[in-house]
Amino acid sequence: MYDKTVRRRRAVLALLVVLSLLLLTAYFGESSGGGLHGVQRTFLTIVSPIQDGANKALKPVRDVFGWFGETIHAKGQRDELRKQIDKLRPELAAAQAEQRTYRQLIGLYHLNRLGVSDYHPVAATVVGKSPNIWYSTVTIDKGSPDGVRVNDPVINSEGLVGKVVAVEPDGAQVDLITDSTMGVSARIGTGSATGIVQPKVGDPNDLLLQYLPANTQATKGEYVVTSGTVAGPDDSLYPPGLLIGQVTSVNEESAYTSVNVHPIANLHNLDVVEVLTSHSGGTAARASSLAAALPAGQTGERTANGEQLASTGSGG
Amino acid sequence: MTGTPSPGLIARVAALSVVVVFFQIGVVSEVPVFGVNADLTPLLVAFVGLLCGSLVGSVTGFAVGLLVDLALLQTLGLTSLVFTLIGYWAGRLRELRDPQAALTPLLVGAAAAAVALVGYSLMEFLLGVDAPVSLDLLRQIVLGTFVDTIVALPMWAIVRRVLDGALPEDPRRRRRRRAYTTGGLSPLTKA
Repeated sequence: MYDKTVRRRRAVLALLVVLSLLLLTAYFGESSGGGLHGVQRTFLTIVSPIQDGANKALKPVRDVFGWFGETIHAKGQRDELRKQIDKLRPELAAAQAEQRTYRQLIGLYHLNRLGVSDYHPVAATVVGKSPNIWYSTVTIDKGSPDGVRVNDPVINSEGLVGKVVAVEPDGAQVDLITDSTMGVSARIGTGSATGIVQPKVGDPNDLLLQYLPANTQATKGEYVVTSGTVAGPDDSLYPPGLLIGQVTSVNEESAYTSVNVHPIANLHNLDVVEVLTSHSGGTAARASSLAAALPAGQTGERTANGEQLASTGSGG
Repeated sequence: MTGTPSPGLIARVAALSVVVVFFQIGVVSEVPVFGVNADLTPLLVAFVGLLCGSLVGSVTGFAVGLLVDLALLQTLGLTSLVFTLIGYWAGRLRELRDPQAALTPLLVGAAAAAVALVGYSLMEFLLGVDAPVSLDLLRQIVLGTFVDTIVALPMWAIVRRVLDGALPEDPRRRRRRRAYTTGGLSPLTKA
């Protein structure tokens, strides 16, 4: 009985293996139009509708499993992307810093070509900023050996930034135009009347152009530039035509007109500035060039404005 | 089980095989896990062999392999050959050792999956498929075995549940169960 069972088991196994090998050989040897291929195609024709039905019926199950799989896959991707972000973030920050510096240097280069170079500008890097929220002072890396002196105007590619208030051999401190002690002689781009630009009380990020004659015409969006006159008895002379800001509103008062001015220079992101170390460059031609560098939107007034500024500049 | 299988058992095995093959083709093959797809068919063959013996195991392996080859337009006889050997081996394991450990299905499932994947790859190479033995292939085999091992226990539970009522009583297992419940002594000895 046992032998019979063993023999039958082995015979079945041998039969199945031989059958498999025969099928394999025959299938592998015949062409695609052969009998076994035909059987396979017939089987597929019969089974296809069932398979389609089963596929449709089992789609929800597949979707559920797929959802789990895709979620796991998505989590893996998320972790991978987070790693990439962590890796790229410092590179992006460095690239942005470089780009910002580059833009400022390009702006200064253009400004120099327009006449500022006659004021012997000394390029400096901002190495320290006032830690309080007012951002009214910054420290630069150029000092007395570079020709920097107290009251020298400081500009960047956008316009007037402030003036030097203290000089050391290895650096200097600059008061920004938003500092409460600052006062800059300025004019509205299209007019001839001059006033004093000072920080607005209670809002250090905003400026106020005060002491304009009562009949001064000013409209919102006009540019405010340095007039080139002295701001005080001992102050330095700012070159005429340096951009300070844009008029945001006009306040009519009894004896004077004052306008609110939003600084053009982004004083929160100063990286590269220029210190104008010579005060004797304010000629009419240079003032005219600087005035011509006013941003677009004031094209119609540029020539006349430049001339007016030039005359004031030579007087300052 | 070494005798002739009952018609009920044959019917259950056949129905289970058809359902599993279609479920494999329709669902499991569409859901990648860790970049590979689980394959329930070698698990089915191995578990049928483990429950029913080498004869039923090898025949089921041949039939399931043929069904897979027909349905997927693969080389006829290739999967049949591999699955026949898996079913026979699992059946012989039961007939010779009859392992009762709880992890037996897990190990048998893992071994069946590995044999199926390696055997299928070997056969393809023997038939002249122009593919390099790359790390990617090894990764697929390892991951495929791992995924099949994960689904081995649920698959075992399903196969056992479906076939349980049709499995004939095995004299050896009956003896073992009696020894376990009576402390190794027959009621006569005890008396």
